[in-house]
Amino acid sequence: MKRNLYQPINGGIVDIIEESSTIKSFVVELEEAFNFETGQFVELTLPGVGEAPFTPSSSPYDTKKMEITIMKAGKMTGLLHECEKGQKIGIRGPYGNGYPIDEFIGKDVYIISEGIGLASIRSLFLTLVDRISEFKSVVCRFSAKTPEDFIYKNNLFDSWQKIEGVDIQLTIEEANGTWDGNIGVVTTILSPDDVDISNAVAVVCGPPIMMKFGTLKLLEFGFSPEQIYLSMEKNMCCGVGKCGHCMMGKYYVCKDGPVFTYEQVKGHPEIWD
Amino acid sequence: MKTVLISELKPFLDALAEEMELYVPKKSGEHYVYNRYDPSANVQVEFNNIRTCTPAKEFLFPLREIVAVYPESSDPINIKPFAVFGLKQCDLRSIEILDIVFKEAEYEDSFYVSRREKMFIISSDCTQPADSCFCNVLGGKPFAQNRYDLNVSQVKDQFIIEAGSQKGKDFIEKHSELFTKTTDIILAKRDKVRIETQKQLEEINSALEFDSPVNEIVGNSQDSVVYDEEAKTCVECQGCTRVCPTCHCFYLYDTKQEDYFTKIKMWDSCMRIAYAEVAGGANPRKALGDRLRHRFMHKFSYFLERYGVDMCVGCGRCVDGEAGEVDIRKVLKKLNEELKGKDKAKAEAAK
Repeated sequence: MKRNLYQPINGGIVDIIEESSTIKSFVVELEEAFNFETGQFVELTLPGVGEAPFTPSSSPYDTKKMEITIMKAGKMTGLLHECEKGQKIGIRGPYGNGYPIDEFIGKDVYIISEGIGLASIRSLFLTLVDRISEFKSVVCRFSAKTPEDFIYKNNLFDSWQKIEGVDIQLTIEEANGTWDGNIGVVTTILSPDDVDISNAVAVVCGPPIMMKFGTLKLLEFGFSPEQIYLSMEKNMCCGVGKCGHCMMGKYYVCKDGPVFTYEQVKGHPEIWD
Repeated sequence: MKTVLISELKPFLDALAEEMELYVPKKSGEHYVYNRYDPSANVQVEFNNIRTCTPAKEFLFPLREIVAVYPESSDPINIKPFAVFGLKQCDLRSIEILDIVFKEAEYEDSFYVSRREKMFIISSDCTQPADSCFCNVLGGKPFAQNRYDLNVSQVKDQFIIEAGSQKGKDFIEKHSELFTKTTDIILAKRDKVRIETQKQLEEINSALEFDSPVNEIVGNSQDSVVYDEEAKTCVECQGCTRVCPTCHCFYLYDTKQEDYFTKIKMWDSCMRIAYAEVAGGANPRKALGDRLRHRFMHKFSYFLERYGVDMCVGCGRCVDGEAGEVDIRKVLKKLNEELKGKDKAKAEAAK
């Protein structure tokens, strides 16, 4: 018998990591085997409260536990932030498409992200790192409001920077006494020389305004719309292309996305809203 | 026997009600709504000459239903066979659209599918279209063409019953004592009534002519000013999406019971302001005009592009049902005029 589309898989929160003042990572374990591809999302149920879409931030190769990094943004995420270890949860999914990693083989992978956008980018990053020899390079340009607002600080400021084949540059948006790096939005640290544009793909994930200006910058550098991958955030509710909430033009972001090339969505209304 | 005759509805409906729950149209004010048929009540069942006010989707996709119980899941739903009498061609077309959405192989909605499998459809011909009916403009007919188990046509004081499926044929055969044979004369009369009704529809909608196919008119309306203008007459009652037989947006929410939780699926409306809003507060369609545009684009352009059929059956329920003044026909007409104007301007510029 086919599984009921709406039935969550039972699970629980086994660990909580404070990433910043407004962001926490929740490590969850599920009662059933669960596999996802990086870039796909899940619907997380807080029993009796509601359900919301999140992209796992852990590597899909880690099949025992899944991490979901969540910013306090509304009612449901606010309640999630109050949860403690042991809290029961439910998961539906995974839904949508992942990043087409095989199409990235042999290329420079140029990743641009800001703030909470790094949550889903982390999963992609870990996936790429796991197969790092297959890619020409992984070039990351990340921003946050202040140094404290960066998530995954321990990795980001240290261990990830040391991985061969990986080039990470960071910027913060507000001047801060201890920060000796770049100050400015993420587009201020992008350069056409960062990657070989003729043999590169770009991935942009973050707040809509940053995705818009990041994409425009990439186009200005000479990236074609087909080379730019965007992870869209809409109100994914059912996850299976029926309920209509996440529609963006003709697309159901939950089913056709959340990963789109700019070529696919450029003519559509509301992509940056 | 595929086509048979009966002189009154009651014995036919009683036979149906013996086998399954039967729903029949009942007049309520100026409209028809569905009620459970009670064979013991000595009430004459009306032959509804027009679609009911409420949409057929209610039978397959209820306003509100529990779709998951957790952490301990409950047994799959058990739907008893049921029959609906008096559905019209527009209703049957709406079921075709809902089937596409909810029976999609990859993501089958078991709640919808269970009901759909147990539904016995008894359609009937329209004999008196309303002023709001415009199915003919969208390729519809005032009589059923497919997707029915049995169809009933009224010819004066007799009823022709035609089977459209094996289930329908089996029913006729099982209850053959109720029926008499049809004749060529009465079938010809039925065809005449059908042609007359089609003519009535054409007359009602004689002013509703378009210069381009509707999907092109709406597909090209991305930057139209018509939606903002029309939105001024919308009071956001969401009535249009409730009564629409093809609108299928829903919302999932969770509730806490004493020792378990439930997930509930409930009708939603893309006309609602927070419909597309995300947790951070971003909302791609804050303006009512944008929501109206999305509703039209979804119905006439996006759905067609994706599934090969458009998502409006021309039943006109939204015209009757809404509290504001947005009239789908007038909006289409205005969009048509706007596109015509644009095409003309383009042609002149090219000269």
